[in-house]
Amino acid sequence: MRRRRGSAAADDAAVIESSRREPERFAVLFDRHAPHIYRYLARRAGRQVADDLVAETFLAAFAKRDRYDLGHADARPWLYGIATNLVSQHRRDEARQYRIRQAAAAEPEVPGHAERVAADVTAQAMRPLLDAALAALPAGDRDVLLLIAWEQLTYQEVSRALAIPVGTVRSRLHRARTKVRQALAGTDAGATYEELTTNE
Amino acid sequence: MNDMELLRELAQETPLPAPAELDAARARLAAAIATAPAAGRLAAVPETPMDQPYPSTGQPVEPLRPPAPVLSAGKFMHAGAVSSAALLIVALAFSFDINAYQLTLLGHHYTTAQLSHLRPLIITLAIAFGLAVIALWLWMARATSQGKNWARILSTVLLGLATLQLLGNHGVDQVFFAVLTWLTGLPAVWLLWRPASSAFFRQCRQAARTRQP
Repeated sequence: MRRRRGSAAADDAAVIESSRREPERFAVLFDRHAPHIYRYLARRAGRQVADDLVAETFLAAFAKRDRYDLGHADARPWLYGIATNLVSQHRRDEARQYRIRQAAAAEPEVPGHAERVAADVTAQAMRPLLDAALAALPAGDRDVLLLIAWEQLTYQEVSRALAIPVGTVRSRLHRARTKVRQALAGTDAGATYEELTTNE
Repeated sequence: MNDMELLRELAQETPLPAPAELDAARARLAAAIATAPAAGRLAAVPETPMDQPYPSTGQPVEPLRPPAPVLSAGKFMHAGAVSSAALLIVALAFSFDINAYQLTLLGHHYTTAQLSHLRPLIITLAIAFGLAVIALWLWMARATSQGKNWARILSTVLLGLATLQLLGNHGVDQVFFAVLTWLTGLPAVWLLWRPASSAFFRQCRQAARTRQP
């Protein structure tokens, strides 16, 4: 389910425009989008880093509000673009986040482990593989994949967020998904995943 | 379930933050807003009080809350104060057992008789020095958490002095004290110069300027 389409999102541009005369108005944008931007940053770089990055995102957006293209009613792609740029300055935090999640999700090797995984293929079981696959992706491919999969931005919105052509969004997404599928298929758990996806 | 659905499922493990988790970020933005020049506000900007209502919530703007690195630096500084206090207590406990051969003051060796005469002065100096060090730790912790940039600079200078002390010491007790001070001060100063900390100090400086008449 996509969030905030329609009238609620429509006046982001109006808020930004009015904030140029009355800076206090920009706080409306914070209240509207900060929780989701925070969650995106927390998923990528961890909660502790997200505390600072969400503030940096909105401070940067506030500083750049005069340059915002008012033709775009929805400011989310703009904000996600700033947030993604900030994440790129914290690659080590992001890599650590994936490692932490992998370690947390890893189960001890016990007899029958593979069988149990095969019998209970869930997102939880695939999680360490997914985290490893995400960590191995090139940064640009990962940005596109996560903005679409996690934040449910459209190709056009990702194109705006990352300032790349829509065609590049498509090719990066294709490449990223191919690599993720390959990573998932290269293991026992992934083999079961393959069976499931082919039986869908 | 395909790869995109798996990713979405993974993402759902991270909940939206509670409103309080965004307070620090909100306060930093409010400070930036308060200092921003605006077409419609013109000269009113420098007089904008920090306690003006936050527009979207109607709540008063709280003083800037320090980011995580500054809070962590404060914890290190409090730990430094505690360790200094412990060292002072230990030093005082052992001061009654000081023998002449243990004490060299300004390059002079003292006899037991001389030492007996000097003991009250030595103890007084040790207490004064120890209390000064503890006060310095606590003062730096308080000032940095309030966003005083001079405190960050002074903390860095003090770490430099602690480094010199580390290099110049020879006695086991002195080296122990110097190493402990340095190991507590180094992470604190490092945290104070993190990008988030620098942004906090910058915003506090800007906010302070707007409060000046």
